[in-house]
Amino acid sequence: MRNGATSESRLARATIMTLGLGFLGLFLVMPLLVVFAQALASGIGAYADAVLEPDALAAMKLTLTVAAISVPLNIAFGVAAAWAITKFDFPGKSILITFIDLPFSVSPVVSGLIYVLLFGAQGWLGPWLAEHDVQIIFAVPGIVLATVFVTFPFVARELIPLMAEQGRDDEEAALSLGASGWQAFWHATLPNIRWGLLYGVLLCNARAMGEFGAVSVVSGHIRGETNTMPLHVEILYNEYNFVAAFAVASLLALLALVTLVLKSFLEWRYDYHGKGTGH
Amino acid sequence: MALRLSRQGDRALSIKLDTISKNFGGFTALGNINLEIEPGEFLALLGPSGSGKTTLLRIIAGLEFPDTGRVYYDGDDITDLKVADRGVGFVFQHYALFRHMTVADNVAFGLTVRKRRDRPAKSVIQARVQELLDLVQLGHLGKRYPAQLSGGQRQRVALARALAVEPRLLLLDEPFGALDARVRKDLRRWLRELHDSVGLTSIFVTHDQDEALELADRVVVMDHGVIEQIDTPQKIYDEPASAFVFDFVGESNQVAVTIAGGEARLFDRTLPLPAGTTLPGDGPARLFFRPHDAEIVADDKAGLAATVTLTRPNSGSIRVEGKLDGLDRLVEIDVPVEGAPQVGERIIVRPTRVKLYAGRAEA
Repeated sequence: MRNGATSESRLARATIMTLGLGFLGLFLVMPLLVVFAQALASGIGAYADAVLEPDALAAMKLTLTVAAISVPLNIAFGVAAAWAITKFDFPGKSILITFIDLPFSVSPVVSGLIYVLLFGAQGWLGPWLAEHDVQIIFAVPGIVLATVFVTFPFVARELIPLMAEQGRDDEEAALSLGASGWQAFWHATLPNIRWGLLYGVLLCNARAMGEFGAVSVVSGHIRGETNTMPLHVEILYNEYNFVAAFAVASLLALLALVTLVLKSFLEWRYDYHGKGTGH
Repeated sequence: MALRLSRQGDRALSIKLDTISKNFGGFTALGNINLEIEPGEFLALLGPSGSGKTTLLRIIAGLEFPDTGRVYYDGDDITDLKVADRGVGFVFQHYALFRHMTVADNVAFGLTVRKRRDRPAKSVIQARVQELLDLVQLGHLGKRYPAQLSGGQRQRVALARALAVEPRLLLLDEPFGALDARVRKDLRRWLRELHDSVGLTSIFVTHDQDEALELADRVVVMDHGVIEQIDTPQKIYDEPASAFVFDFVGESNQVAVTIAGGEARLFDRTLPLPAGTTLPGDGPARLFFRPHDAEIVADDKAGLAATVTLTRPNSGSIRVEGKLDGLDRLVEIDVPVEGAPQVGERIIVRPTRVKLYAGRAEA
């Protein structure tokens, strides 16, 4: 039976699907299963011990703290940048767009090193900071800075095309009706971008909690103090404590799964809202 | 149609534009525009796309600011005032309704965003919204969302929303551009009635000459960022000030001629012109006439020779299309049904009313 120009023979279809699914299974599903299998290899008791151990709890707390600081910062930055880029014309606009992408194109190690060079003991601002007793590198502020840097394109990148497509009409309508700039943003812009914004926040959060490279450079790996969850996993792994390493890793894997589910939901809402509104 | 809104006639605004210019990165959108608009006037800004008409409207509104020149409302220089402080109603081409708000909330928006001390009580706002929705004949749709309305209904909601703040000036950007022909015609008539009954100054932008001629008290014809003519619709149509206006407004035929010694010449032959035609100075000129300002005659020296290529009925008469002898140009005329020529027939077209403009046709 032929279905049309794009239909292939049964054999070709089967081959392509096998390839696709096989690849997916080998590189995504199997590792995920291994994580959980390893985590539970010594039973649920060992799993609970590994997860509830003080250093693990500290790592979790730190990871949540870092995300709780850096995600709101990047929401503010991302919305402001997208707003400026799409609603106004100003010199240097294309440079700003290019710079927003910088964290994506640069290696996370470099992202971390930037801050060591800036704020480290031998860095430009190091002596001044030491004098005033402010510790940034090998402390929580450095981890937050590195995380903010690495995650800063997510919200802006998500919003720029969306806001560009929606144009300025709604804001101009609000302004012409006497609204202040803030009211125009709150009543006209934000409702139009809320699903896109949530989507960006979700990805930003996933990355903020999962970031390894840049954070590893600035963290100093002090157990119970400057170890985030990914760093804690690495340390446990390097100590051949596989059960504990995979137990903590399984939490990160769960985070990824939850993110995926939420992401699908948001994509669905997003599509649903984008259509049928006459735009 | 009953319009219940109180007249605000004495509040209508007069506007003066003094040498307004605007450039967009090297492109001159507007060049030295001078324009005065009377209070209560219904003015059309007519022109093709890129003529600067929308930019001019946005400058009047305060959504765009001129590079040079001043804008006056009732004699006050408000050039630097932001749109939010100007108290104008602006209706956008694509309505720009807030799609997450109900129709009623959309209309109420201009009142609800006011500072607390200027904000009317909730019940007052509600009553006002209902009054406006009744005015635009959507009184029963207040709880709907914009996505649930037709294009014409959305446009009326946009109008009600703009009127809610009691503007002294209503600005409309291609208000009927996105609507189908029938709805457009109804809305046009309705808008004119609304303007007359509310008694404000209205300015609308359009590229549709019919719309401009039917609706406006005066029409401003624009091209390439300059004003070609400001006049009543009748004068715009009967006495176009330039070749561009003749060509752009209404249907027209055009023939390139040469003026020499007080005569119009075509192919070394004098072209007889209707009595009272004013001639430009010697040199190349463009002769224009409307399809209904011509007749078919027998005398082959009295007009332009053509071969009929098409005939079709055209509201009560016959539209005849012909190819002019020796010219790569079509001529279109309207003749009575009686004695209309056949396709392939040779005819002599004698314009009964023409306008001549100095210069050559562009490209």
